[in-house]
Amino acid sequence: MASADKLINTYVPEKDVFALHFLQSLSNLRTQNPLNSPDKSIDRVRKIKKAAYVSMARAAGGTSRLWSRALLRRAAKDDNKSVRFSRRKRKVTWKISSKRKRSNQRAPVVEEAAERLRNLVPGGGGMETSKLMEETAHYIKCLSMQVKVMQCLVDGLSPK
Amino acid sequence: MMNSSLLTPSSSSSSHIQTPSTTFDHEDFLDQIFSSAPWPSVVDDAHPPPSDGFHSHDVDSRNQQIMMMPLNDGSSVHALYNSFSASGSLPNFHIPQGSGGGLMNQQGQTQPQPQASASTATGGTVAAPPQSRTKVRARRGQATDPHSIAERLRRERIAERMKALQELVPNGNKTDKASMLDEIIDYVKFLQLQVKVLSMSRLGGAASVSSQISEAGGSHGNASFAMAGGSQTAGNSNDSITMTEHQVAKLMEEDMGSAMQYLQGKGLCLMPISLATAISTATCHSRNPLIPGAVADVGGPSSPNLSGMTIQSTNTTMGNGNGKLNGNGNGVTKGTSSIAVKEAVSVSKP
Repeated sequence: MASADKLINTYVPEKDVFALHFLQSLSNLRTQNPLNSPDKSIDRVRKIKKAAYVSMARAAGGTSRLWSRALLRRAAKDDNKSVRFSRRKRKVTWKISSKRKRSNQRAPVVEEAAERLRNLVPGGGGMETSKLMEETAHYIKCLSMQVKVMQCLVDGLSPK
Repeated sequence: MMNSSLLTPSSSSSSHIQTPSTTFDHEDFLDQIFSSAPWPSVVDDAHPPPSDGFHSHDVDSRNQQIMMMPLNDGSSVHALYNSFSASGSLPNFHIPQGSGGGLMNQQGQTQPQPQASASTATGGTVAAPPQSRTKVRARRGQATDPHSIAERLRRERIAERMKALQELVPNGNKTDKASMLDEIIDYVKFLQLQVKVLSMSRLGGAASVSSQISEAGGSHGNASFAMAGGSQTAGNSNDSITMTEHQVAKLMEEDMGSAMQYLQGKGLCLMPISLATAISTATCHSRNPLIPGAVADVGGPSSPNLSGMTIQSTNTTMGNGNGKLNGNGNGVTKGTSSIAVKEAVSVSKP
């Protein structure tokens, strides 16, 4: 078998990319809510969280990955915007995966875990298990990068 | 990603699925089928023999191997059949009679010799290295229908990805597949929770502060800190920072230069956020990243007050640069582009 690394492309950019996107989104957030600062802190937190996810999705590859695409679409739907994404040339795969609910004949252990993963990872609903796991790997990498960025930001901004 | 192309793809047992564009899996026996020279015409419809150099170097050796076999028969079909068997782990496979054209009769091929192949196949493992083509490999594909081949392919693919995931997840040393999957799921949940918590902690408080700051009039950042629960602000230092920021904001609206001079007088400087972030991440563990100077100036006692400023300066040209207010006495670095908005955070712990 060829090594798994050559088959799966899990490249995430450097931390700075994530940091830049996140800070830009934060400043945009500030621009949008300067005076009408919502008094509910929960709303603010939610906005920040959403900004974090969206910026992470953008930094991680925009619409070129399935999970980021789904995430951006989900976020845009809430704001009633529309996601523009370029049509890349995609391999035509006719693996009809979403149309047909996977029967449990395939290693039911794996499948139930895959089902749980599908709920967690954005865009997981229409994916085959193997594709799902590939996306999960990339998602985990990007999430950990984002967490690192936010942690460093918070650490840097907090007093001793 | 590889599709097991000519066999019906793994996701379906119905017959309607044929991948029009086939990408090769690393399944050797498939390659051997396709790339072996004596092609019956039937196969050409389904798939042209690959010329992309895929294991092309092996073709010759394989061809020779293949060629040797059907010398007895002289039938190209048998050559095909034997190529298939050559890749498989079936040394005791003997040439069948009357097998039809290659691919389409794959199901048919298995019928003459179900027992032999089954017996060898069950003992075989998939993990044999595929490098040498002559090595026999346990392929169960011949024993059963292509669905099981596809199934096996799929399982291998999943196993590969699980291995890749295993390295990412801490505590990925579980050998059990089920526990590994649980671990993965928990880790994803944990990361998402971390994002939520981090967005609550200081950034939430900071956002509230900065929104206060941007309002006209001296706003006290203290009042807004209730939510975050951790970001209580010391009174004096915060006010002075606030005042400074206000002053700079005012100055900036008039004239950039005067704002810079004001900052310089205070021993602070303006720098793009990306740089500040880079610095802070480089030193984030030491917790004293950017502002030894600022501390002294702004009057925070021992607690460093990191103050950046976000100002909505509509007058100044809108660029996409972000600046940050920091003290290091280096003079003013205006950054890479004009200052549009800068992030204001003023947080200090009691």
